[in-house]
Amino acid sequence: MMNTLLELSGVSVSFDGFRAINNLSFQIGEPELRAIIGPNGAGKTTFMDIITGKTRPDEGRVIFGEKSVSLLKMSESQIARSGIGRKFQKPTVFEAQTVRENLAMALSNPRGPFDVLLHRKTPTGAHRIEELAAEIGLIDHLTRRSGELSHGQKQWLEIGMLLAQDPRLLLVDEPAAGMTPAEREHTTDLLKRAAQTRAVVVVEHDMEFVRRLDCKVTVLHEGSVLAEGSLDHVTKNKDVIDVYLGR
Amino acid sequence: MTQGFLSKNPSVLWFLAALGLFTLCVTVLSETAGVGLLSTSFIKTLGKTLCLCLIAVAMDVVWGYCGILSLGHFAFFGIGGYAIGMWLMYARTEIIVIRSLNSAAIPPTPEEITDAVGQQIFGVVGATDFPWLWAFSDSLFLQLLMVVLVPGLLALAFGWLAFRSRVTGVYLSILTQAMTLALSLYLFQNDSGLRGNNGLSGLQNIPGFEKTPQAVISLWFFWASALALGLGYVLFAWVVSGKMGSVIRGIRDNESRVRFLGYHVETYKLFVFTLTAIVSGIAGALYYPQAGIINPAEVAPIASIYLAVWVAIGGRGRLYGAILGAAVVSLLSSWFTGGGAPNIPLGFYTIQWTDWWLVLLGFSFVAVTLFFPKGIGGLFDLVVRKGDQK
Repeated sequence: MMNTLLELSGVSVSFDGFRAINNLSFQIGEPELRAIIGPNGAGKTTFMDIITGKTRPDEGRVIFGEKSVSLLKMSESQIARSGIGRKFQKPTVFEAQTVRENLAMALSNPRGPFDVLLHRKTPTGAHRIEELAAEIGLIDHLTRRSGELSHGQKQWLEIGMLLAQDPRLLLVDEPAAGMTPAEREHTTDLLKRAAQTRAVVVVEHDMEFVRRLDCKVTVLHEGSVLAEGSLDHVTKNKDVIDVYLGR
Repeated sequence: MTQGFLSKNPSVLWFLAALGLFTLCVTVLSETAGVGLLSTSFIKTLGKTLCLCLIAVAMDVVWGYCGILSLGHFAFFGIGGYAIGMWLMYARTEIIVIRSLNSAAIPPTPEEITDAVGQQIFGVVGATDFPWLWAFSDSLFLQLLMVVLVPGLLALAFGWLAFRSRVTGVYLSILTQAMTLALSLYLFQNDSGLRGNNGLSGLQNIPGFEKTPQAVISLWFFWASALALGLGYVLFAWVVSGKMGSVIRGIRDNESRVRFLGYHVETYKLFVFTLTAIVSGIAGALYYPQAGIINPAEVAPIASIYLAVWVAIGGRGRLYGAILGAAVVSLLSSWFTGGGAPNIPLGFYTIQWTDWWLVLLGFSFVAVTLFFPKGIGGLFDLVVRKGDQK
């Protein structure tokens, strides 16, 4: 039996009267791999914004970890430090810096300015960076500026940065967008491997990719959960068919 | 650590070598050393330029590396100047007053001395009493502490308020302009306690060294400025290297991504803003004794804008770029506006550089922004690249 790692209950948020998230409840255990699908405007990105502290919900609770701490009063950086990592839809790596620098910045070391200023490179840190680079297939590119990487490599680098943070929960927004089939396969492997020890939430449009992840699926629609279960189960659901195909 | 740091940043060594050579040349060519090719006033100009280079390096760190376009760093520079100026003025006036009162029949009491000093300093603004601001002005040590503390605390308070509210970009620039404008307007008031628009003057006379000629004093300050610039350069080069540099440049390029990596971006900005403010204060404290006078116009908003122009022309995001920009532009500026540049008669109109220098500067700024975004410092890339190909 796995423990619940993250729990959202009764969460609602409106922007200028538009209800982006409407009485949403959601749970994920540790370890678990979960895919979230839904049409445009279903609230997928807002959902991630709420968990990572970028958006404050109008009502509801967001509780994380076995000590059941509320994430609502924490800043983005505090939430990140307590073990939630996020990958954005557009790959956002620091393009002016090398792959190694990007990974080094993400490594789970103390985050205060003076810790960082007096930080010294350690063999364990260097070893961890190489380990991660090998996992994301960038071991030969460590000294390259990440701006020179291909789109797929940037996506992997960002996943690598997530893993370097050593989070308990990974939120991954459309990791396969713009990837070749071979790259997708590698990405699927990465995520599946990560989900063996952590909770991983993948937001994705691409049904084929979701099928390959082979995990429980949550369908969002108009800011709340429409259906939940295996991919086959939810694709047979009448409401889901209506939403995706139009009535 | 230092070994590794210097070997990884060869440009620091090159800069220190160049600065050392420059200092040596100026010393040898000065009047004091006997050659006398460089006049005392020119040595003061060079010393002042070194101070401007130091604040330009600070500006480059806060803007070029951390992405905070502060248009208020000259406020900190001015505060540093006022802080040291208060001691210089008090101590020197006290010496003069004691000397003149000693010729009287009855020896003066301490109150009489204080009153007379107050009369001398604040007579121009119609006051005689020492304002509370001058409480520590009799102590060099405390005023030197103020050089560091006041800019640091002001930057800390201002930065804490601004960064905590997530004020960024052009809005932050406007706020920093407002800060320096407010400071300048406050100082312009006669009852500010800092002599209003008269400012503080006679700062070139160092108390206790009345007999030392200015030629020697100018050289001392030149050396002190060169030392401060060297130390400041190494300090900032160290700050922007390694992991700290990674995080700071990350904040410049994508603030929210850094936040989601778990770094508290506001604390980092506050650290950089405050550190650069303190260094700016030190630069100001070295500049104004060489300038001899400080008045509220020095911290007018335009001064901080010039600072940004120097750094942009010199090349943002590289420390030596800021130094080149500050040195070249400020020296050119004093050449053009000081009547050094010959006027150009066009027949129907004569271009007088005192008026047209700003136009030229404006055009250069636009040209650099459009055609050489890397600034003068970018020229070094060409040299290095050519060297690599060989």
